Amino acid sequence: MLLEVNNLTVCYDKAMILNGISLKVDTGELVSLVGPNGAGKSTVLRAITGLVAWEKRMKRGTTGGEVTIEGDVLFEGKPISQTPAHEIVRLGLVHCPERRRPFREMSVQDNLMAGAYLFGGKGQVQDDLDKVFQLFPVLKKRLGQVSGTLSGGEQQMLAVGRALMSRPKLLCIDEPSTGLAPLMRQEVFNKIVEIRRTGVTILLVEQEVASVFSLTDRNYVLSSGRIIAQGKGDDLLQDEVIRKTYLGL
Amino acid sequence: MLLDIIIDGLIKGSVYALLAIGFSLVLGVARIINIAHTALFMTAAYLIYIGSKLMGLPLLLAMAAAVVLTVLLGLVVYRLFIQPIQEHEAAVLIATIAVAMMLQEVFLMSFGGHYLGVPPLVDGYLTIMGAKITYQHLLALGLSLVMLVGVRFFLMQTRLGLALRSTAQDREVANLMGMDVNRVALLTVAVSVGLAAMTGAIVVPLITVEPTMWMHPLIMMLAIVVLGGLGSIEGSFVGAYILGFAESLVVFMLPMGSFLKDSVALSVMILVLLIRPEGLFGVSFEEER
Repeated sequence: MLLEVNNLTVCYDKAMILNGISLKVDTGELVSLVGPNGAGKSTVLRAITGLVAWEKRMKRGTTGGEVTIEGDVLFEGKPISQTPAHEIVRLGLVHCPERRRPFREMSVQDNLMAGAYLFGGKGQVQDDLDKVFQLFPVLKKRLGQVSGTLSGGEQQMLAVGRALMSRPKLLCIDEPSTGLAPLMRQEVFNKIVEIRRTGVTILLVEQEVASVFSLTDRNYVLSSGRIIAQGKGDDLLQDEVIRKTYLGL
Repeated sequence: MLLDIIIDGLIKGSVYALLAIGFSLVLGVARIINIAHTALFMTAAYLIYIGSKLMGLPLLLAMAAAVVLTVLLGLVVYRLFIQPIQEHEAAVLIATIAVAMMLQEVFLMSFGGHYLGVPPLVDGYLTIMGAKITYQHLLALGLSLVMLVGVRFFLMQTRLGLALRSTAQDREVANLMGMDVNRVALLTVAVSVGLAAMTGAIVVPLITVEPTMWMHPLIMMLAIVVLGGLGSIEGSFVGAYILGFAESLVVFMLPMGSFLKDSVALSVMILVLLIRPEGLFGVSFEEER
C-alpha cells in the first residue's frame, strides 16, 4: 500500500473538521476524494502532507486556537505523522495545493525551480523540466513571464508542473478544476490522466463529481468530516441516496 | 555643489537601499517588522569603534570582527526574544522596539552621549570641478554598489535565494517544496543583519557614532519601505535612491536643511499612505478565489 490513513481526526479549536477518516491508495491508482464544500477534503490532504501539523506548531501559544491531530498516516508502510512537511516531500509524497498558489511575483522558471528545490540546480533537473514542458508546452513559452500574470488554466498547469518537479510517487492535487472554463477543465483532467500514465499515483480532491468519476479507479465520498461512501464511480452514481444527498445530482 | 549633491545622494541612497532591503527581507520571510534593524547597524559602528580605537586593532580586522559579532548578536536575539513569539505580530514588533532601546541604553551607559568617530580607510581627496570628494566617500559608494549587486545575485541566482523568495511569497507552499521555512527564516535574519552590519562598516568613517544614531536611518528606512511598497525589494531599492537624493537636496539647498531631513521623509510617507497606500511597487494582497 502506497498511502494508508487510519482514523485521522483533526480539530481546529473546538470544531471537529475530520472525524476518523481512513483511506488507502495503492501504487499506480488514480483515486478521488469528493464531497461538498466544507466537507474537509482539503484538510485531509493538508493532514497527510504535514501542513496541519505545521500549522499546529506555528499556532502554539497564539490566540489562533489549538489545532489537534490524531490518527496514523503511513507512506510506503512507514509512519509519517511526526515527519515535518518539508521532509515529507522528499519521500515522494507531493501536494499541489488548493487555489494553485503559484509564487505570483516569481517567473514561471523560478516557480518550476522552486518545485525542484530538493534536487539541485538547473543542470541536475533538466530531464524533469523537459518532461514538464512535454506535458505542458505552454509553460515553455511563458518561461520568463511573471506567474501572477498567467491565466487561471495556465496557473493550474504551472502548479501541477511545479509539483511534478518535486519528483512525486504520490501526487495529491487539490481542486484543480475550480474557477476554470469547461474546456480548460477538461484539458486539466486529460493532463492528470496523462500524468498517471507515466507511473505517478494520484489522489485527486474534487468537487466536480461528474467528470471525475469517469477518470478514477476508486472514489471516496466525504461529508462533514466523515467518509460516507466509497467505491467505483458507476456504483456510487447508481446509489440514489448518495446521488441526492451527497453529490447533489 | 551639484557634484556634492550627486555623490552624497548616491551614497545615502545606496546605504538606505542596503538597510531597507535587509529590513524588507526579514519582513517578507519571517513577518518581523524589525525596528531594531538600524540599532544593529549602530551596534556594528560601535563595535568597529571599540575594535579600532579602544583595542587598537587594524581597521579592516575590526570591521570584519564587528560584522561577525553583530550577526551573532542578531541571531541570538532572534532565537531568544523573537522566535518563541513569532506568530504574535504585535508582540514581535514590541520586542524589536525593546531590543533597539536596550542597545541604545547599553551604548549610552558604556560610552555616554559623546560623538565618537572612526578614521577613514583611505585618506586624501580628489577635486572635480571645484568640489572636494574624499576617497573614503568614493570607496563607500563603490563598496555599497558592489554589495547591492551581490545581494541581487544572491537572491536571483542562488538556490538559497530562491528558497528565500519563495518563503517570502508563501510560507506554506514553500514548505510543500521541501524548504525548511524556519531555517530559511534564520538564514534571512543572518543575511539581513549581515547587510546592516556591513553597511555600518562601510559608512562608519563618514558619520558620527553616538547612541541615537539609529533613529534617523530608521525613519528613512520606514519611509522608503512605505514608498517602495511593503515587502518589495525593487521598491526598497528605488525608494531608497528617491529619498536619499531628496535628503541630499534638502540638506544642501535649504538653509538649516539638515534639521528638515526627517520631516521630508515623514511627509513623503504620509503622502504615499494618503495617495497610493500600496507604494510604488506594492502588491495589492488580494486573495484569488
